[in-house]
Amino acid sequence: MIQEYDLVIIGRGAAAFSAAIRTSEITSNQASIAMIGFGPIGGTCVNVGCVPSKYIIEAAKVVSTQRNPRYPGIKQSDPVVEFGKLMESLRGAVEEERKSKYEDVLKFYPNITMYEGRASIISRDTVKVTSKLGEEDIKGYNFIIATGSSPMIPKIEGLEDTGYLTSDSVWSLNELPGEIGILGGGFVGLEIGQALHRLGSSVRIIKKHDTISRGIEREVGSELIRALENDGISFLIGRDVEKVYQRGDKKIISTRYKGKIEEIEVDEILIASGRKPNVAGLSPENAGIEYSDKGIKVNDDFSTSNPLIYAAGDVVDQKYRLETLSAREGAIIASNIFNHSSKGINLQEVPWAIFTEPQLASVGYTEDEYNRNFGKAVVRTIPLVMVPKARILREDIGLFKIVADEDTGKIVGIHVLAPYAAEFIIEAVIAIKNGYTYNDIIENSHIFPTVAEGIKLTSQSFTRDMTKMSCCVE
Amino acid sequence: MTEKKVTMRVFGMTCDDCVRTVTDGLEKQGADVLSISLSNGIAIVKIDDAKISAENLIKAPVFGEESHYKAQLRRVE
Repeated sequence: MIQEYDLVIIGRGAAAFSAAIRTSEITSNQASIAMIGFGPIGGTCVNVGCVPSKYIIEAAKVVSTQRNPRYPGIKQSDPVVEFGKLMESLRGAVEEERKSKYEDVLKFYPNITMYEGRASIISRDTVKVTSKLGEEDIKGYNFIIATGSSPMIPKIEGLEDTGYLTSDSVWSLNELPGEIGILGGGFVGLEIGQALHRLGSSVRIIKKHDTISRGIEREVGSELIRALENDGISFLIGRDVEKVYQRGDKKIISTRYKGKIEEIEVDEILIASGRKPNVAGLSPENAGIEYSDKGIKVNDDFSTSNPLIYAAGDVVDQKYRLETLSAREGAIIASNIFNHSSKGINLQEVPWAIFTEPQLASVGYTEDEYNRNFGKAVVRTIPLVMVPKARILREDIGLFKIVADEDTGKIVGIHVLAPYAAEFIIEAVIAIKNGYTYNDIIENSHIFPTVAEGIKLTSQSFTRDMTKMSCCVE
Repeated sequence: MTEKKVTMRVFGMTCDDCVRTVTDGLEKQGADVLSISLSNGIAIVKIDDAKISAENLIKAPVFGEESHYKAQLRRVE
């Protein structure tokens, strides 16, 4: 007999768990839920994304601070890094987080049944689960696809034979590569690259374009590259990777640069060319669901082209791939299905961050985007050194940029490169969400001295000459 | 008048009082409640489709966003 569920969720990461828990809350744990997936429970974030990357970033920060003390009078020291032990503790931290936030949580929801296997959609109300035990069909009244994403591997001659690391596999390392070449250099490449560099690797980031990624406020991105170069990372810009191959113990990245072949010799290659949605083998077309290589197409309420089936998280064709966004989407979909609502998410109010040092955090429109869409942006940028706390921290690379509507003064984008930027970007989110103007920001007291005060100072710069102001003028 | 038999899954009922509350909520919308099972949450009602559709019945106030009870359609015949 085919098992039938009130809700079938394909995937078991942040979006899936969020949807399942919210559904359980809404239905008093009475909705029967099937969750289908394979690999470590919890998805990208806890296993191979945010959790391990932030762990290694913080560990590397400790090493960097000792090697490069900020203040005169504190002697430099060269800590011994036992990389194998560090990575073992990282994997332990991941396991603990996965257990406490995913595996143990399931105990509170007897209405959720886990299926270990790969799901493929065979009709509008049935999926086939293929596992080691065989095949099983499952029927559902409602469906959510939340299969996530995987590292995108570029087609480069010799890459498969030569071998490479991705943000999935780098966490298995026990020996620190002496020299590492990072192909791409998006968010993941920058974060892992800086961490490995600080732990002792020589890191070269090999990119075609001089920008970090599309959609980033250009001057903030350029300043981040300057900060990372200042940290000791090499950016090899303008390179087209033509092939890679093994020469002895070394891996050779053969690039074309200004018409000539340039070979880069490394011990390890890390692919950081973005992510692709996990739709392989899923057969969404069997339920009439439209998708492309960018992901599943969804409406504002996250329903797919089959209105009975929703999609959430990294598998969706959308601007951002973020754990928090996935989780919100999962919860909203649960409400849309069981509360019969049609809520969505305004992506202009969703913040994101790169956890390098300094951190890049951003929300809303870039200057170019707003001008392109509405043609009337007014902007102000202040360098980090104008923020007193940054001077106390002896940090001099970074900036704050605010994009506002020229007519109304309403803030439509805030982009920050600064220490702790990810911690205080939420002020920008609230400002944008509530339609605050730069005057509204000024009229709220900010704690002195904090790096977060930079948002207030940038707001003040719309109406004042900042060089003529004492540090505490409100 | 188009009479329809609607089978729905009602979530959130935990006692006989819940069954009464849901029954009242459905009757206020003009539905004729044939049965509601506390054990499996299945409610079967008759409606006059000209007065209220099955789609609107599951959005009745008793199943609203602030309500403890939720409903989904399972069959309309």
